[in-house]
Amino acid sequence: MSRRLIHPLYQFGNPQLRVFRPGWFLSLVRPGKEQPPDTVQFRVPLEMTKFDVRNYLQKIYNVPVVAVRTRIQFGSNKKRNHLNQRVKHPDYKVAYVQLGEGQTFEFPNLFPEKEGRSAEGSMEEIQEKFMEDEKQRQKSDPRRGGVTEWFGL
Amino acid sequence: MAATSAGRIAGLCRLFQRCVSSFTLQQAEYSSSRCISLSNRLSSVCSAVAPAYYRLFHTSHSSSGLEEFFDLPENWGEATVKSGGPWTSKQLRAKSNEDLHKLWYVLLKEKNMLLTLEQEAKRQRVAMPSPERLKKVERSMVRLDTVVEERELSLRRLITGHEKGRPGAWRRSVFGHAYWYRFREHPIPWFMNTHYKRKRFFTPQFVEPHMRLSLEKHLRVKVRKTQLERQQKKKLEELFPKATAHTHS
Repeated sequence: MSRRLIHPLYQFGNPQLRVFRPGWFLSLVRPGKEQPPDTVQFRVPLEMTKFDVRNYLQKIYNVPVVAVRTRIQFGSNKKRNHLNQRVKHPDYKVAYVQLGEGQTFEFPNLFPEKEGRSAEGSMEEIQEKFMEDEKQRQKSDPRRGGVTEWFGL
Repeated sequence: MAATSAGRIAGLCRLFQRCVSSFTLQQAEYSSSRCISLSNRLSSVCSAVAPAYYRLFHTSHSSSGLEEFFDLPENWGEATVKSGGPWTSKQLRAKSNEDLHKLWYVLLKEKNMLLTLEQEAKRQRVAMPSPERLKKVERSMVRLDTVVEERELSLRRLITGHEKGRPGAWRRSVFGHAYWYRFREHPIPWFMNTHYKRKRFFTPQFVEPHMRLSLEKHLRVKVRKTQLERQQKKKLEELFPKATAHTHS
């Protein structure tokens, strides 16, 4: 993973420092407030800068980036534990990335309702599960290699 | 998931190669010259055979852009997604540097995808499908990192004979504590560097008896710890005098 390079010290004219295995992970999030269609919201590590986000998306994901705006979200410390001490949620950085070349983005629905499957906790689902289990139970042992039940010890 | 798909591709490649080699063995004109390069073989196949062999070679669909932050659309809404095991160090050691470099980015994209999915699942308050994938990807990345570091270390040992990339030396602090001091490059010489000159890399004469004392303390603590352990073990053995409960240490 990438670490800050201290030795040797970078001096002007030296070959550029390169990151071979970047250790930064972004997650694309659904914007809480409505954004313009060409803006994508990311959660990025705190130490990442705007330029880092731009390079990351352009070089790794091949996404045209016009502008990046960032802010730091304060993680709430309102929660208290059983000793009445404050519990802090970690801070994170939010990056608003504006796409270029007229690209637009809309966050897809990652959990669509699939047809042919009954609702969770309903009678039908329990029945289906029961039937599946029964089927599994009545299957012969695959280690027997198709030898009939009555044969053997 | 990336690991499995890559593994599947590797398997298919192997199959393809086997087919190609068997094909070349069948042909008398090629069997005589044993050191045909792979490209030669491939070209011979291309010219002679119907595209039946092409179907064996398969590459996964390459999506680009922001779609890579999401799983394949057919996996959306599924309760579980099938995935293979994490890459083992043994498998990774067999790969070339270039392959490892590519694999890092595959894993990175996979992890980004999983983080996105996890966050979205949290937001919609549903269970994330197959959350064990995240740990698998993390494990593979850690292993890949160790493998690359191993290679770096062996290369450095071979070329420079040094164990560490950054030079350093053993030094003693004012309290007589010896530690590995890592050197740093500075834009000014050391005698002009007030910060550096303020550091004390020596042990005064009057600290020596205290060094001895601290060593004694350290040893005493160690001995006490071992004694306590031994006593506890003895007690346990008295409590449970079963032959199988004895531990040899």
